[in-house]
Amino acid sequence: MPTKIDAQKWYERNSKRIGVPVDLIRQNYREEFEGEKDIGEPLEIPDKMEVFYKYTYGQQSRFFREIRENQKLYGARCKKCGKVFCPPRAGCPHCFEDTEWLPLEGTGTLVTYTIVYFSNSVFARKVPFVCGYVKLDGTDFLILQSIYMDDVEKARPGMRVKVCYQEERDGRITDIYFTPVDE
Amino acid sequence: MRRVAIIGAATTKFKSRWLDRTYYELAYDVTKEVLADAGIGKDRIDSCVYGMYNDLFARQYQPDLFAHDYIGMAPRPAVRVNTGGATGGSAIRMGMAEVASGMSDVTLVLGVEKCNDCFNYEAGITTPEVLKSINYTADMTYEFPTGRTAASVFALAVIAHQEKYGGLPTREQMAKVSVKNHRNAVKNPVAQSPKLLTVEDVINARMISYPFGFYDNCLYTEGAAAVILASEDVARKLCPKPIWITGVGAALDWAFLGNRPNLYEFHSSREAAVRAYKMAGITNPRREIDLAELHDAFTGTEIMAYEDCLFCEPGEGGKLIDQEVVEPWGDLPVNLSGGLIGCGHAVGATGIMQTVEVVMHLRGEAGERQVKEARRGLVQSIGGIANAWTVVLILEKEV
Repeated sequence: MPTKIDAQKWYERNSKRIGVPVDLIRQNYREEFEGEKDIGEPLEIPDKMEVFYKYTYGQQSRFFREIRENQKLYGARCKKCGKVFCPPRAGCPHCFEDTEWLPLEGTGTLVTYTIVYFSNSVFARKVPFVCGYVKLDGTDFLILQSIYMDDVEKARPGMRVKVCYQEERDGRITDIYFTPVDE
Repeated sequence: MRRVAIIGAATTKFKSRWLDRTYYELAYDVTKEVLADAGIGKDRIDSCVYGMYNDLFARQYQPDLFAHDYIGMAPRPAVRVNTGGATGGSAIRMGMAEVASGMSDVTLVLGVEKCNDCFNYEAGITTPEVLKSINYTADMTYEFPTGRTAASVFALAVIAHQEKYGGLPTREQMAKVSVKNHRNAVKNPVAQSPKLLTVEDVINARMISYPFGFYDNCLYTEGAAAVILASEDVARKLCPKPIWITGVGAALDWAFLGNRPNLYEFHSSREAAVRAYKMAGITNPRREIDLAELHDAFTGTEIMAYEDCLFCEPGEGGKLIDQEVVEPWGDLPVNLSGGLIGCGHAVGATGIMQTVEVVMHLRGEAGERQVKEARRGLVQSIGGIANAWTVVLILEKEV
């Protein structure tokens, strides 16, 4: 006689194994353990892939420290062509020359945008939200960012925006966001 | 460079879930089919190129190793190609280089993808977790944390296009592309989403990322596709209807979109098309190409692809759908397979599936959806952040 699997124990083991609450495991595997299954039927198992990091920002570290510690936004200016990058980079890809740090005003213009109504697992609960490419004043390229707005449908290309800083800052790009400026 | 022919072509069914197949089992199925189509045994294969995009979908790094094993190709040389959505096109380009250079006489190019093993336990569906796996291809430092999705990035480009060209493409033009591609899929037995929709159905569907609604997006698909490439002398011996790759063009644009000169056109797509036309000796693509399979990841970007493939002037892509030029009865049918919207997007396999589609038309074996007097076809494969990569292939039959 085949051994009967104890479904509850299976739910608990697999909940622990992949770090998903046991009721969610049960919900999504109830069918598997209800009724008779043919021995050759496709079998799905809970699994995940996971890696932990202590990731270095390398030459961009000061950009994130200025945001986290000083609530200041910096760009990087090529010492040769003078073009200003934000996000910053240590070397200019056009001239292969080093850049230098340059404080920015933190104001800019929304060049293009979208309203996200359906996002991935990480952001599923935050929708709808606006994200778009902003040309920061004094820079030559664009940065992708979230634009916090009460009425997302009011977003328009050409809209003036300014940088804001989260109250709790972690050294991530999400320490900053943009809001519209009334002009 | 030696001339390169396609002597075998096959696609498995494209569907949302192959519950009874793993990725390497799909690779096995399509290998069997493509060898049968070419009428050769595996002993004739000198080398392999694998198009596989996402290791997180596969739950496996370097999945090509195991596919190669499963289809019994050891100890032949093989390489895996991954250029996001353009993987299929890039894999064919790489296979072509193998044969054109003389390193191989016969090369198997195989694309396979299975995304819907990803699963979001909270929502009880796959999609948000599939999107997460895709989003890990965004720059993890600056762009992933904004919550943008693949759809959002292409939406940003379409909004920029509308801003540049007075609101074009319109909502209706984009909806017509969705109606066309879902309708084309009805005649394609391997398609995932054959549907007869109206423009209103598309416009009224729930919003995904403005301006794209549910039916403006391509599908998540599991499936495999393969072609066998051969040198001219081998092709002449083995194949009654060789299809020649007469042009190939590829480009990789700035991946941080903020570094591009503008966002209202896809520079890599234009560059790849120009290169492919030059190689194939095409001077008037609108007249000289009989059918095209374009990478319709989104309706708006199919319209932008008409422009980037130089079928029309910049900003005027929407006219081609309004004037029914790209419909099956028009003089330049686009995505007779149903494209990514109607047939499906099994990422690493997609560009190969679209190549197989054009091969079938050029051979005159496309059944109900056969286009009349097809002599020359185009395949466009794009991938990465907003068309970072593009590969364009020109296929021709013997005349």
